[in-house]
Amino acid sequence: MPSDPVPRKLSLDWWSVIAALAASLLIKSGLFPHIPW
Amino acid sequence: MSEAATIAPASESSKLVDFLRLLPGIALLAAIGLLGKLAEQSISAYGKSHHLALPNIEYVLWAILIGLAVSNTIGVPEIFRPGVATYELWLKIGIVLLGVRFLLGDVAKLGATSLVFVAIELAVSIAIMTWLGRALGLSPKLTSLLAIGSSICGVSAIIAAKGAIEADDEDVSYAIGAILALGAFSLFAFPAIGHLLGMSDHAFGLWAGLAVDNTAEATAAGALYSAEAAKFAVLAKTTRNATIGFVVLAYAVYWARKSRGASVEHKAAFLWQKFPKFVLGFLLISLMATLGVFSKPQITDLANLSRWAFLLTFAGVGLQTNFKDLRKQGLRPLIVGAVGEFGIAALTLAMVLGAARFLNLG
Repeated sequence: MPSDPVPRKLSLDWWSVIAALAASLLIKSGLFPHIPW
Repeated sequence: MSEAATIAPASESSKLVDFLRLLPGIALLAAIGLLGKLAEQSISAYGKSHHLALPNIEYVLWAILIGLAVSNTIGVPEIFRPGVATYELWLKIGIVLLGVRFLLGDVAKLGATSLVFVAIELAVSIAIMTWLGRALGLSPKLTSLLAIGSSICGVSAIIAAKGAIEADDEDVSYAIGAILALGAFSLFAFPAIGHLLGMSDHAFGLWAGLAVDNTAEATAAGALYSAEAAKFAVLAKTTRNATIGFVVLAYAVYWARKSRGASVEHKAAFLWQKFPKFVLGFLLISLMATLGVFSKPQITDLANLSRWAFLLTFAGVGLQTNFKDLRKQGLRPLIVGAVGEFGIAALTLAMVLGAARFLNLG
């Protein structure tokens, strides 16, 4: 996978955790009514 | 875009520009993924309306093939590249969200089974690759990189090890090329072999997770087999990824001693630094699902969101694979990689088939 030469405060791994948790909280709160496939 | 950049303060404007640079590539990932989904649905609908038994080619394969076609014909224009490189982020988001499909008890049970296999796979992969690298006269550091890449998680592990063992850029590039070429091959070979042997979803997923090197390719190989197999492939692969810190640390200590370089101090901090943190997110979502935080429809929504994230990933896998670039990497690392990977795939297949009999991997 490509490495990021620019130092970041948060790694890609942490961003993925934050994004997934935010999405799950939005779904839990009912802000996303339904996600079809 | 330029107007927004002028109004915002310098640091914020550069962040905004960086973000905007991602959008064309993300749009391309989405377009290719949707095209793949559309191709699957259209062919299936055509077959049904004309009473034809057409082969069901899943969106996963379409997305990868369309991506491969673009990458290897017209190429990926510069404007799309930053966004296309985000496919790893979508992969990890998809994996974290997939945690909702597992109860924590299942994770512990399946993870423990996977961990035993992973331990055997690690030992054998490292032994095979080290022996082959020596036999074919590869440089010791290139051999180490190939061993790390094939035993844990492909390119991520090689990049993690690069700094730790102070490897040359050329060796890193050779090792990455070999692992990517073999990943592209496994993507198509594994599901074909699995179908030929009539493997169960669980057994196939476990095998793909143990033997396919890159997480994206392991997930795609599982998804090409079935949605259920993808779940098990992700779990086995995630267990394998979790060992990255230990293996890289062992190699770092070995090379530090051998070259009398700086030794690795603060080993616990080193392990934490190399540990794939998205595994924690996966466990957290799984815990939330186990505690009943989500209702059934919400679990379905989260699982669907995970599939959308994987859709972007699979398009990215195709777009990032360029056969011309892979050919440039030279033949010897590829031979070592191919022979080693064949041995690892055969061994893990034998382990999984044996376990399928005794552990009832239905």
